[in-house]
Amino acid sequence: MNAKVIGIFALLLALCGFLSIYTPESFLKGNNIENLLRRTSMYGILGIGVAFVIITSGIDLSVGSLVCLVGCLLASFLQVDYRPYDLYQVSAVNADQQSITLRGQADFDVGDPIRYYGGRRARNLVAQVTKVESVQLDDGTTASKLTIDQKPTRDDSDGNIAKLVSVVSYEKGDAGTSENKQLPEVNLGQALLKLAARDQVLFVHPTRGLKQLKIVDAGATDGQTAITVNDTLGDFGTEWFAVPLERRQRFPIPIALAMVLGIALFLGLLHGVLVTRLKLQPFVVTLCGLLFYRGFSRWMVDDQTMGFADEYDNSLRLLGTGKLQVWQAADGSDSFGIPYPFFVLLIVAIVAIIFLNRTVWGRYMLALGRNEEAARYSGINTNRVTMIAYVISAVLAAVGGMLFALDSNSISPSSFGNFYELYAIAAAVLGGCSLRGGEGGIVGVVIGTAVMQTLYNLIVLMKISDKLEFAIIGAVILLGVIADEVVKRFAAQRRAAARARQAAEE
Amino acid sequence: MSENSLSAVPLLDVQNVTKSFPGVRALQEVSFALQAGEVLAVIGENGAGKSTMMKILAGVQEPDSGQVFIDAKPVRIDSTRAAMELGVVLIHQELNLADNLDVGSNIFLGREPRRGGLIDRRRIYQESKVFLQRVGLEVAPETIVDTLPIGKQQLVEIAKALSVSARVLIMDEPTSSLSSKETEALFDVVKDLRSRGVSVIYISHRLGEVRELADRVTVLRDGQNAGDLSRDEITHDQMVNLMVGRDVSQFYAREHHEIGDVRLEVQDLITPAWPQHKLNFKISAGEIVGVAGLVGAGRTEMLQVLFGIDKRVGGRILVDGKAVAVSRPADAIEAGMALVPEDRKQHGLVLEMSVLHNMGLAGLSRNSLAGGFLNRQKEKSDSTQMIEKMRVRTPSDGQVVQYLSGGNQQKVVIGKWLSVGPRILLLDEPTRGIDVGAKEEIYRLMEQLAAEGMAVFFVSSEMEEILGMSDRVLVMHEGQISGELLRDQLSEESVMQLATGNPLAAC
Repeated sequence: MNAKVIGIFALLLALCGFLSIYTPESFLKGNNIENLLRRTSMYGILGIGVAFVIITSGIDLSVGSLVCLVGCLLASFLQVDYRPYDLYQVSAVNADQQSITLRGQADFDVGDPIRYYGGRRARNLVAQVTKVESVQLDDGTTASKLTIDQKPTRDDSDGNIAKLVSVVSYEKGDAGTSENKQLPEVNLGQALLKLAARDQVLFVHPTRGLKQLKIVDAGATDGQTAITVNDTLGDFGTEWFAVPLERRQRFPIPIALAMVLGIALFLGLLHGVLVTRLKLQPFVVTLCGLLFYRGFSRWMVDDQTMGFADEYDNSLRLLGTGKLQVWQAADGSDSFGIPYPFFVLLIVAIVAIIFLNRTVWGRYMLALGRNEEAARYSGINTNRVTMIAYVISAVLAAVGGMLFALDSNSISPSSFGNFYELYAIAAAVLGGCSLRGGEGGIVGVVIGTAVMQTLYNLIVLMKISDKLEFAIIGAVILLGVIADEVVKRFAAQRRAAARARQAAEE
Repeated sequence: MSENSLSAVPLLDVQNVTKSFPGVRALQEVSFALQAGEVLAVIGENGAGKSTMMKILAGVQEPDSGQVFIDAKPVRIDSTRAAMELGVVLIHQELNLADNLDVGSNIFLGREPRRGGLIDRRRIYQESKVFLQRVGLEVAPETIVDTLPIGKQQLVEIAKALSVSARVLIMDEPTSSLSSKETEALFDVVKDLRSRGVSVIYISHRLGEVRELADRVTVLRDGQNAGDLSRDEITHDQMVNLMVGRDVSQFYAREHHEIGDVRLEVQDLITPAWPQHKLNFKISAGEIVGVAGLVGAGRTEMLQVLFGIDKRVGGRILVDGKAVAVSRPADAIEAGMALVPEDRKQHGLVLEMSVLHNMGLAGLSRNSLAGGFLNRQKEKSDSTQMIEKMRVRTPSDGQVVQYLSGGNQQKVVIGKWLSVGPRILLLDEPTRGIDVGAKEEIYRLMEQLAAEGMAVFFVSSEMEEILGMSDRVLVMHEGQISGELLRDQLSEESVMQLATGNPLAAC
């Protein structure tokens, strides 16, 4: 462990010590420390990635925008929507005739309840089929034409209709307390074999409105399906109808994660190729990345705030939000757990430490960061090693970005990840990486991140205006770098003095 | 003081100057004197301390101890400006001109005459003409320096020195990049200056030039005075003996041994620097082949193409008769080559890394364990073995190489390569900037490696080294091999003839 790491660690201890004494009641709270750990973990992963690039004497400014891109991509890859199982496309609606012509033939009977989902212009409605005919469409195909007992709001040439399922019987359940809570059960008048837990159901009434509920459990018996839903039914009765909704997730979780990481890997490779093959300056390449990924993300999701709703609360999102409970106050007012992102950081850091210090590539990075020419003259494929550094940075930005996205569940593309690259670079520099390259360690970067986050914590806890946040962080980094330089000069002077003494003695 | 024939007070008197750098004692108690209107040649091998001495006189560096007198008055030269005011001007080996500016602006750089706060360009050009005339340079002062050939740029530097009424002109290797015609013109200027009472300290490796020009010679060796020679004592052998400090034939300890099969063969090799020329040569196992030539003759470029640093434009490289595709250094290493580059600090070493890590750098991949893990034991044992074999003087293998002396740094570079077991050793100026002791060790090592069957191919600008170490010499001139000399044809004259592009007279 070198002097720089010890120095920055001392600074971290001093900060923590100060806060422990100054505001023990808020700093030393389990929740606060847990939160501090969580933030440090997520930012630390970004810092470790950037550190590799800095060690090769490059820079990666694209991290923050990559975090945003990754957040938007992950949210849209994992986007879930619910749509009726039996949905028929409509080719024409005639309001006066109260008729709906489908795009093809479908199995409808007189008396069937349906729900019409209006196209762009017409309103939705619930109705009953009064007549079924077969008609010839303009393109020559045969289609079903339904006449209904309601008048659509207007003529249209778009929309869908879904067949409704009748409610046979129901059990209202008992809201009660959490222990003896009994969820409502509803028997539907049809055997819906595909319906399963995590699907949803839409209950509609021609006049009394509609309600969408989650299905907790579903079981089809002959001619009927019993479903348990997650919330109270309220105003309800057998005169209501049900639309079973199928849960559709765009991609399975492993594939979504793999795609996000794959895209990040590709982008890192692209940065590396531009830097090594086209000899563009890393600053310029990644600055363009910063601008491009931000703009692209905003366009891709149309500036909509993205999230995961409550779809993955008990699965993937735990990676960002979860914790390993360690302690809980007797009165439940405070608790402490090790946040899951901390374990991710731990794994990333250990792999990074081994990679940097114990593998050939890590050594090559240190060597070429300091003197690329000497490394090249030693037969090292410096281009490839440099590219690896950019790939590591982008992939770790993606890992961090996914954690941030999962944790926050609110990804607004114009601000998500803003300035994160600067936090990461600052942490790496605080932690002992030199922007001249060839210098730095993973432990230092993690501690550097912790210092930044503790500073942020200090600003919050001491009720300093958060408008001063950047000013304070900037000042502390500057002081740290100045102190480092002063110590270095002092050491050099001492060495020179020692040499002079030695020379005099000879 | 050996100088007592002249009773006049010397213009410049240097007494007991000492200067140390990290790891090197550059100068130790060096003394010499310079009379008005005298050309004093200061000679010595690379690393003998000439450049440091001159930098001290020019105010670039300050001595640790010792005193400089001008007109018998002690002076303190703590900046180049102070030196200039005392009339001492250094013309650097690499010219110090702002080559994007014109000749006149360069001559008056930093001392521009002004009128109403603005630069008085008319006066600059007018006065520049006077100084240009004195150095015999017929170019308009409005000419951009960049467009002038290197010899004329040199004369601009001298004109600039005259414009500050220099009394002592220090010329550091002024002819290293000049053609023979330009060299002659420069000599005429120097002789003219001497006749006008300007003193010149002339630093050169070219002993022939020294013989022609110098009134007196001061020899430095290992940062110390090695002796002075007066005008009639200046002979080639005398100078070499003083520079080397012992009998030359012993210093370059060559033995005769068997020369084996052709190890490296180069056919029609074309370098990007000189695409119009094709290079052809062979080197055999156990042979030491020297490459001589002037600076910029294309020798380094040739080695860099051989080693895959620069892309080959054409031609074939054969090792043991088999063609090898060298497009990266890794390919060259795979084929059994190793290159000790010219610029040790830029290309040979990662200065901020330890001896251990530098030694290991070339062999890391081939020694690595499964999964790319470092084989730290092997790295350590190889390094220990090489430190011993090369006799690297270092407190430990954890020492950062920038604190080692030049000679020990060079040994680390060579050790790095020997640990991967090359069969062809390419050396580019292997003894540049290192002390005599380390030189001798490197020569002995080259000899030993050749005896073990290594093909040794070295580029050198030091005539003594070329003459002393080579079994055979290739001489290069402007990108092509202008001739090949066997051991019994070797002489300073024959090498220089070929190096300056003149065909060899039948011999």
